[in-house]
Amino acid sequence: MSAAKKRGKAMTVLIDNLWWNNPVFIQILGICSTLAVTNNLTNTFIMTVGVSLATAFSSWTLAGMNTFIPNKVRMIVQVLVISFYVIIIDIVLRAYMPDVSRSLGPYVGLIITNCIIMGRAEAFARSNPPLISFWDGLTSGFGYMAVLMAIAAVRELLGFGSLFGIPVLSAAFGDRFVPWTIMIMAPSAFFLLALAMWGLKSLQESMKAAPPAAGGAKPQGSAK
Amino acid sequence: MNRNSTRYTVAFTFIVCAFFVFFLALANDLTKEKVAANRRFTERSSVLRALGVPFADAGSVDSVYEKEVTELTAGSTVVYRASAEGVPRFARFFSGPALWGTVFGVLAVDAEVGRVSGLQIVSHNETPGLGGRIDESWFKDQFTGERIADAGIRVRQGSGKGDGDSENAEVDAVTGASLTSKFMETMVNGEIAALRKLRDEGGLK
Repeated sequence: MSAAKKRGKAMTVLIDNLWWNNPVFIQILGICSTLAVTNNLTNTFIMTVGVSLATAFSSWTLAGMNTFIPNKVRMIVQVLVISFYVIIIDIVLRAYMPDVSRSLGPYVGLIITNCIIMGRAEAFARSNPPLISFWDGLTSGFGYMAVLMAIAAVRELLGFGSLFGIPVLSAAFGDRFVPWTIMIMAPSAFFLLALAMWGLKSLQESMKAAPPAAGGAKPQGSAK
Repeated sequence: MNRNSTRYTVAFTFIVCAFFVFFLALANDLTKEKVAANRRFTERSSVLRALGVPFADAGSVDSVYEKEVTELTAGSTVVYRASAEGVPRFARFFSGPALWGTVFGVLAVDAEVGRVSGLQIVSHNETPGLGGRIDESWFKDQFTGERIADAGIRVRQGSGKGDGDSENAEVDAVTGASLTSKFMETMVNGEIAALRKLRDEGGLK
């Protein structure tokens, strides 16, 4: 494969994962953590970085050992590799960022159950070389991060009146600001996620209907 | 070799597991001391804060702790003693179940168990933003200097912003976290009872 063609593929993967085939609002994967960790931006950011790295490295490793993996134990090996990287992330956080590790608590371990990682391992890393699989995993993580950060921004702003722990609304309005307790709890993530899916998918539909812009990526069917 | 034969599958699984587990064990071993040091730092700084012993920064925790705090062994438990402003105070670790997991903390009192000196949370698994707010300073600071009534300390539904009266033996619960607040009340009062028992046995000296 020539260098130019390779770059083309990397670009397609990036745009697909961020937009046309976004893991959250198109593939509807990783929803459990979307509901659980998005009530403040700091935790969301660290969690999504963790997911991006875990997805990238496990896709890379799995793509590299693909030709040796017996079909029967394929999924067992995938889970093994994924949990390996997640535990490494957990160990690094506990040793070097104890405060973050404390505030994320059990959520780091739950990265293992994030369906995006397994989804990319099955859908992409199985049939692609290691480097592009790494890129695919990383950009899938970014697609996930973008949606979660947007939801977390709304939830933290209305639920706590702050952004990244820095008071914004509560500073501007003082005692007149009443936190929306519902925004801190899981139900609000359902509403916000549904609204985001509705809005973004409608936008995609209208983009598909419009004449394609020069150089734009072709829309693709969503993987389930 | 046939990739789908049973022998290959078993051998492959075995080798792959051994390989990854080896690196996990290695990573765990390399960071073991660092993790233990972090844990000790959290515990020691919590004990100091609960006892009201000031320390300048994170680096001075160990030296201040070793200079000021005496570890007394009373039966099977360890009581931490320090004097702040000439008054001896006693702290003990407590733990108990809350909504999602175990809360682990420190409660410090005076020698008569008449007032709380301070409360600190070492670890918890409560919902961030709801029950997790027990680790915020407005909640913990309510306990500082609070009078202990015969029935202990009541966690009641208040303004949710913190109870400034240190004579009423009452603190505000966390809004939206009634159950976690109730569990905290049970834990704190259980610990007060344990400290009273120690006092009656002459353990708080």
